[in-house]
Order: sequence, then C-alpha cells, then structure tokens
Amino acid sequence: MAGTQAAAKGLKQNPSAAARPVTKWKKIFPYAVSMLVVRLTGRELSTQILESCRSGDRDAFRVLYEQYKDRVYSIAFYFFHGDPVSASDATQQVFLKLMTSIQQFRGEAEFSTWLYRLVVNVCVDAARSRKSEAVISDRLDAFSVPSSQEDDYQRAETARSVRMAVSPLPPKFRIAVLMRYFDDLSYEQMASALRCSMGTVASRLSRGHKMLAERLKRLKG
Amino acid sequence: MWEKHIAMHLMAYLNGELPPRKAREVESHLEVCEACRTEREKIRAGMDAIRRLPLVAAPDSIWPSIAAEFGRRQPRPAAVVHWRWVLAAAVLITLMSSTAYWWLHRPLGTEWGVVRIDGSPSIGAKPLVGAGHVRAGEWIETDAHSQALVQVGEIGSVQVAPNTRVRVVTAQQDEHRLALARGEIHASISAPPKLFFVDTASGTAVDLGCEYSLIAADDGSSLLRVIRGWVSFEWKEIDSLVPAGATCRTRPHLGPGIPYFDDASAKLKQAADAFGLEKSGDTTLNVILSASRVRDTLTLWHLLARVDPPDRNRVYDHLASVSPPPAGVTREMVLKLDAAALQRWRDDLAWKW
Repeated sequence: MAGTQAAAKGLKQNPSAAARPVTKWKKIFPYAVSMLVVRLTGRELSTQILESCRSGDRDAFRVLYEQYKDRVYSIAFYFFHGDPVSASDATQQVFLKLMTSIQQFRGEAEFSTWLYRLVVNVCVDAARSRKSEAVISDRLDAFSVPSSQEDDYQRAETARSVRMAVSPLPPKFRIAVLMRYFDDLSYEQMASALRCSMGTVASRLSRGHKMLAERLKRLKG
Repeated sequence: MWEKHIAMHLMAYLNGELPPRKAREVESHLEVCEACRTEREKIRAGMDAIRRLPLVAAPDSIWPSIAAEFGRRQPRPAAVVHWRWVLAAAVLITLMSSTAYWWLHRPLGTEWGVVRIDGSPSIGAKPLVGAGHVRAGEWIETDAHSQALVQVGEIGSVQVAPNTRVRVVTAQQDEHRLALARGEIHASISAPPKLFFVDTASGTAVDLGCEYSLIAADDGSSLLRVIRGWVSFEWKEIDSLVPAGATCRTRPHLGPGIPYFDDASAKLKQAADAFGLEKSGDTTLNVILSASRVRDTLTLWHLLARVDPPDRNRVYDHLASVSPPPAGVTREMVLKLDAAALQRWRDDLAWKW
C-alpha cells in the first residue's frame, strides 16, 4: 500500500512527466529515460535496480541512493535535533551498510522495510552511544529567531516550533513519528522495521503525537 | 474499559489502518464520547504539526564518500579458485582496464544525443531533423519557434529554449562543458559536483548536483535560477553559492552578483540586483539590511566578502543578530574574511536556506 501511495506521490510531484512519450526517446536517451521511469514508478522499479545492485553495479546503487537519500537524511536530521553532521554521518552509514549487505536481500520483505530497519538501527545506536542528547540545547538555540522579527518569519517560526517539539520525544517515539511521516510506511512495514508488534507501533505513534501536541501547546502558551 | 479500548485504536483509525468494521465502531463511539473526541484532537494536532516539517535534501557531500567505499567494500565470495581461473580473470581484468583507460582518455569529440522538441533547431548550421548528435566545438542554435533537448553524457540533460545559441566546449566523462552565448537553457543534472559547467560572458555556472535555468542576454549579463540542489556561479576570484529557490545575476566585468531567494521582498531583490553597480553601495546596502528576513542570511552572508571593511562591520552585526555565528567563529575571523570561518558560518546558516 505504501508503495502505491509513494508512486502516487511521485506523479503528483511531476504531473507533466506522465504524459511524455518515453519510448520515442529511449534509444537516444537511455539514461535520461531510465531516470524518468524511476521518477514515475517510484519503488516498483526497485526490483530491477536491486538486481543490478546485487551484481555490484555502482550506477544502479546511485539510482537507489538518489531515490531514498532525502527521506533517510530528513529522518536522521530531525532525529538528531537538526544536526546536519550527525544526519550526514547516519545517512552515509545507512547506505554503506546497505551496500555491504544488499546481496542478502532476497525480496521476501519489501525493500523499504529493510532499508528503514537499517535507518532505525543506525539512528538508535548512535543516540545510545552518544553520551547524551546534550546537542539538543545547542542546536535548538541555533533555531531561534529574535522575537522582534517573529511576525515576519511565521513559516520559519512554525517549523522551528515543531522541530523543538520533536527533539525531546523519547528516541523510540521520535523515530516512529518521523518514519511514518517521511515515508508513509504502513503499520505492518513499521512493525517490521522497528521489530515490534503493530499494536506497539500504534501505541508509540499515538503517544508520540500526543506528546508533540502537548509540547507545542506549551511552547505557544 | 470501552473508552480505553477506543483510545487505543484512535491512532490507527486516523491513519486509516483499521479494518472497515472496526473503523465504524470507533466512529460510533466518537459520536457519543467527548473524552475520546478530545483524545482524537490531541493526536490530530500532533499529526498536523509533524506535517509542517519540510523534507531536507541530503547534502551532495554524502555520495562521494559512499562511492569511494563502493569498490573496496563490495562483498567477495570466499570460495577457493583454481589457478587457471585466476589467470583467466587476470587477462580479463587487463582487457577491461585497457578498455576503461581508453574510454576515460578517448579524445574530445565524444557525441551527445540531441532531440528536436519543437521547430527547426540546428547543429553546426545543419538543421536537426528528429534526433542527432552534437560534438565538442559544435553550436546548437534555436530560433523563436524551436527547442531541443541535449543528453549530457550520462549525467543528465539540458533543454535548449527558443532563441538560444549554445556551444559544446568539452564532452568528456570528467568534464561536461557548454558555453551559452545567448538565450536560455534548463539543466537537470544528477552527478557528483563539478562535472558540469556552463560558461557565460560574465561567469561560469558550476553544477553541484542540481536543476537550474540559466539565461544569457546579448549585453553579456546572465540570470541563474536554481530549482533543485546547489550551483556555484564563479568568475575570477568571485563566486556566489546559489541554493534551490534562489536567483543570482551576473554582470559583464563584475561577475556574479549577490544571490537572493525568490520569495524575498521586492525591495531586497531590487537592491541585491543593483548592489555593486552604483558608486557608493550605501543605499542598496541599507535597503538589504532593513529588508532581510532570517532566510535572507543567504544574501547577507554573501555581502560579507563584497563590502568594504567599515560596511562589513554593519553586515556582520546584522547577520549575527539574526543568526549568531557558531562556536569557534569569532567576529575578528569573519571581518578578516577567514575562509574556514566563513564556510563554517555558512554551513550553519545553510540549513535555513
């Protein structure tokens, strides 16, 4: 289901692309056309790409990377309190792990589930190994905007408030909320990635969202 | 008990994860239970909030490190191999290496595919019918009614708009370079940084993994608008780093101007365009300082290196009041235009861009 939704999202993002006559250009623009197909069909093409990745095709791995990098990076970015260095490290680790273990992926599970399991492992392990979430206060300070300018920067201010409200969520709630939002994973996929039951997924999302709303209310109040 | 049961299912209900029958039960209960409705609104508020977080583009710097590891970390089978196979593999590797060497060092003149989109574009003064190829040194020209699409090696494509004259300068794997004499191109590149360049009379657009439009006017000025990723606009010692959603102009003999976001105020955009053209930059600088928002730190950061020392103090003060420099970056370092310090501050500011 999530795959279909993501494909639908892709079409929404680039509606005119669907009408382009792909076959006409295929002989002349094999690369450009393949990129277009990736954009149009989203994850459905991953099976072919995965096959090439398993055989060590660097270009195929690049396509796979391009397809997921922003979502993986965004989850890591907000998980690590807006720290771009930690987010870059985590994204790099996720794809390096993926690179070395992709031959083990046999397609029994959906690829995105497998990828996000790596994301969860990398993010949660990094959070555990860091002595603290001391970074929070430093990074959040950097989000701040002088109060005299707040009216002019409404959009930035709203995003800042949400980031500040997401940051203190316990890691297991934070990762669940971010995964659900950035890739619209189903509960079944999330349960597999988080290695817990679907009931636990629902519970973490529910508590995470409520904590987020309460925190935002306090920030606004 | 019943209320608790529904509360447990509210999240799944709002996410559309409940089977229809269960969803109907929840709906019926919500009609009569105020406590559960309150609970639902709390969760919904959290869901609405999280949707305000924008997707953040992964920096271009991540892929090169992954690519560098690619060859080294590919898993290899640990099976025992007969020496004949080893010999055959060695021969094969030698052949492949030779082929790769030839491919990487083949002479200029590698062809790129071109397709006519509209009208009658020409390549090297010959009309393009349907599809064709262009080599280094050849011009692609479109009139008021024609357009063409060029495949830039294996890294992307460039759409050539009407009334455009553009030349392929270099068509190699490690350098893809066009020269835009006039008109407009739209480049969509998916490659590591600094593989694709477009020269204009007043600056060179250096691709850092991106999609952008570039317009060159007959007077030598040009206009760059970045849609995705980053572009560095360079001329002599001057460069402007232009992120997605921002625009930068270049002027003959002056090089790239100050970039600004397209959603900045008209006053700021006008002042940024005029900056450097007048004898005294006081007026435009005052306008930029007074009209800048948090996001306009892009413009302010670029101003630091373009103003005289007395004005640099003013720009620093304003920029620091909007977004203080990160730890380790001091006022003195910035005022001396310490490259490392400026870059650190820029990296810190860039996530707001």
